[in-house]
Amino acid sequence: MTISGRFALLLALGVVPVVAAGISGAAEAWIALAGWLTLALGAGVLDVSLAASPRRVALGRELPDRVRLGETVTAELTVRNLGGRMLRATVRDGWEPSAGLAGPNRTPLLVPPGERRRMTLQLTPWRRGDRRVAQVTVRSAGPLGLWSRQATLAAPGRIRVLPPFHSRVHLPSRLTRLRELDGRTPLLIRGQGTEFDSIREYVRGDDVRSIDWRATARHADPEVPGGMRLMVRTWRPERDRRIVIVADTSRTAAARIADEPRLDTAFEASLLLAALASHAGDRVDFLAWDRRLRGRVHGASGPELLARMVDTMAGIDAELIEADWSSVPGQVRRVTSRRALVVLLTAADSPGSSRGLLSMLPQLTSRHTVIVASVTDPALVEAGGARGDLEEVYRAAAAERGLIDTARVAAAIRRLGALTVSAPPHELPPALADRYLDLKASGQL
Amino acid sequence: MSVAPSAASLADRPGGSGSAGAPADQTDAATAMTPTFRAFVRRRRIWIVFAAVLVLGAVVALAIQGGVRPPGMTLGADNPAPLGAMALVEVLRDHGVSVTESRSLDSAVDAADRGATVLLYDEFALLDESRLDRLAGVAQRLVVVEPGFAALEALAPGVRLAGVASGPIDDVACELPAAERAGGLGDGQRLLTVDDDARAAGWQGCFRDEEFGFALVSGEGDDDGQVTLVAATTVFANESIDEAGNAALAIGLTGASDELVWYLPGPGDVDANAAPTIAELTPGWVSPVMVLLIAVVIAAGIWRGRRFGPLVTENLPVHVPAGETSEGRARLYARSAARVRALDQLRIGAIGRIVEALKLPRSAELGAVTDAAARATGRDEASVRRLLVDAEPGGDRDLVELAAELDVLEHDVRDTLRPRSAGRAGHTDPADSTDSTDPTGPAGRRP
Repeated sequence: MTISGRFALLLALGVVPVVAAGISGAAEAWIALAGWLTLALGAGVLDVSLAASPRRVALGRELPDRVRLGETVTAELTVRNLGGRMLRATVRDGWEPSAGLAGPNRTPLLVPPGERRRMTLQLTPWRRGDRRVAQVTVRSAGPLGLWSRQATLAAPGRIRVLPPFHSRVHLPSRLTRLRELDGRTPLLIRGQGTEFDSIREYVRGDDVRSIDWRATARHADPEVPGGMRLMVRTWRPERDRRIVIVADTSRTAAARIADEPRLDTAFEASLLLAALASHAGDRVDFLAWDRRLRGRVHGASGPELLARMVDTMAGIDAELIEADWSSVPGQVRRVTSRRALVVLLTAADSPGSSRGLLSMLPQLTSRHTVIVASVTDPALVEAGGARGDLEEVYRAAAAERGLIDTARVAAAIRRLGALTVSAPPHELPPALADRYLDLKASGQL
Repeated sequence: MSVAPSAASLADRPGGSGSAGAPADQTDAATAMTPTFRAFVRRRRIWIVFAAVLVLGAVVALAIQGGVRPPGMTLGADNPAPLGAMALVEVLRDHGVSVTESRSLDSAVDAADRGATVLLYDEFALLDESRLDRLAGVAQRLVVVEPGFAALEALAPGVRLAGVASGPIDDVACELPAAERAGGLGDGQRLLTVDDDARAAGWQGCFRDEEFGFALVSGEGDDDGQVTLVAATTVFANESIDEAGNAALAIGLTGASDELVWYLPGPGDVDANAAPTIAELTPGWVSPVMVLLIAVVIAAGIWRGRRFGPLVTENLPVHVPAGETSEGRARLYARSAARVRALDQLRIGAIGRIVEALKLPRSAELGAVTDAAARATGRDEASVRRLLVDAEPGGDRDLVELAAELDVLEHDVRDTLRPRSAGRAGHTDPADSTDSTDPTGPAGRRP
């Protein structure tokens, strides 16, 4: 039950008869007031008794299953009037605030008995994960629009909001580098660990060191009698290597650096690396880990890999618990028994919080190639340079201390045989991809 | 572009263009989460019963107590409250004085005609001058308690209000029998003054509070009636009548005759010819319109305030600003004034970057670093060493200066490695040498 502005206006219009009656006397004015109030209340009661029931309504939803963060989708809601009266409804769809509903969310609908109407809402979710809706509130007005009935109906729905994968803009350039490695372009890069692919004719730009003189001797040039064709060997990088990406979802991942939580940066970096590695023919597994397995993608390849990864990542948020690094080698062993590239996406910024990581690393580095990728805080570098007054100097000193700690941890990680990649949030994904390409080019996988 | 939600008509298509689930759902009414009125009553039954019992209990208690009792009038003859005067009235009745309560001037005048003593307490100054004169004209003995300005003007010109007494009064200062019997008055008296004209007219004051005034003034009215002015109600009030000689004075003043009229002017004594009230000035429809406006405001409040369905809750993830640790450490340094420690952090950072810039080995000793930095920037080696190692900041200003110098040194080291700055240095050298080797140059240009 509720009343409309129209009813308040109707009440206010009572001033006219009350004043008109009041000219002849106070008693008449009071009578006019009582009469008007009775009239208005009677009209309201009549109106609400003629309103269609907001409960005798069937609801249906049509929602897209998935949406990438930042994109806009159309959510449709159909309202079917099961009652015998015309439903003059205003409908509010009870989406979570982070579903990013555009507009005032008050949709007027006029549904004749037995028919249904469809309303569309534009949603632009601004948070990753499952965005849910549980209820729809229907306010059914009477024919005069004075009073209305209101009921909240259960109408559950869900949209899965996937990580945005902004770093895919870096993918084409890295794929070009990968193709260079792959021998599909004339320019060849030769290195250890690359596999012999084929022999073909020399074209300008090839490395002269890759000319195979024995093959050249066997290939006489038919156009020039006695002449030879220069033949070069082509190489291709190793394929079918295992890559295990472990994203740390513990309390350090909740830290927000440059307006992006560490976890989101880790997801971006994982997605870029996975896209690149699956193009390069390597097999990628993904683990999200703190004290338990929060998410796992195993045995997927090609386009399915990325789809499954974003789906797994969508629902994972950082938790305020300490990571249990001692179980990570066991988790990696369950994924693969072969030598693999293990990428740990975590925060390595203070000796105290990295102790678990450091004590576990030797177990991994003895079997695998390990990269520890961490986000650096650009605000620290900035604060380290500002020395205007006393407060800034102390802040600069604290920032320097943080940078020194980060450097010490990185040095310790390198001493334990792992590689480190650290960069500001937006540069970490390409930096990690480049490190992967370097490893691939030098055949260290 | 419009982003407002839009409604579109949907024809009843047999196949249904929507998702597979929607048409099947459309036959059943959605489950309502809002309880119906009946369900609401059933669920809240206990509370409704509880509230009903409370209301019923309150009504019963009210009925037993006999309604809401108004706070009794000040100096009411039947008021047992601290400010009432029931004690005095009861004592007088016990001693055979017939006390008549009166709320109207006519009945008081009638009784005064029969020779009764009249006690007048006009709390709200309801009586005008003519009514006071009428009463004073017929009363043989008139006791006026706490007379106001208008009453004094009418009854005793020349007697004026003079504020509050400083404490109990024991200086009787007159020969009034009642006053002499009382001997003194308790605390909380008010004072009156008697000017020379009034004194000449026969007014005399009793109970003098030093030179400030009198608590009681008596004299003869215009028509030979005895008029006594008591400046405060404390002499008669229940709570203070037992102090000092209050009771003796009160009984002496009021018990002088067999009959006493306890006259507190009521609404009937107001002068009907006074200025019209606001209610008389405004037209008759103003009050109904105000009531109507209140109703409109309530209706508008419900219209705007009624919530459109329950609030939607959302679980928000934890996000910690990463700079907190660093900020906290900076505040710790500042609070403990750890200047040396703070400066050392800056030095370690600066040395690290200088080593990197000058391509020195990571294991280079400190001496080698300061030496290399001094050579690169062309500074004195000792000053560089002081800046990077030895200097201890004596105060906050020192710390800020040293930190800024460190920054400058670091920039200088980096600048010297840039080819552009080296070229500029080479260019300035000859200019310097010409200035120094040709002293006649400037002199020759001098006029």
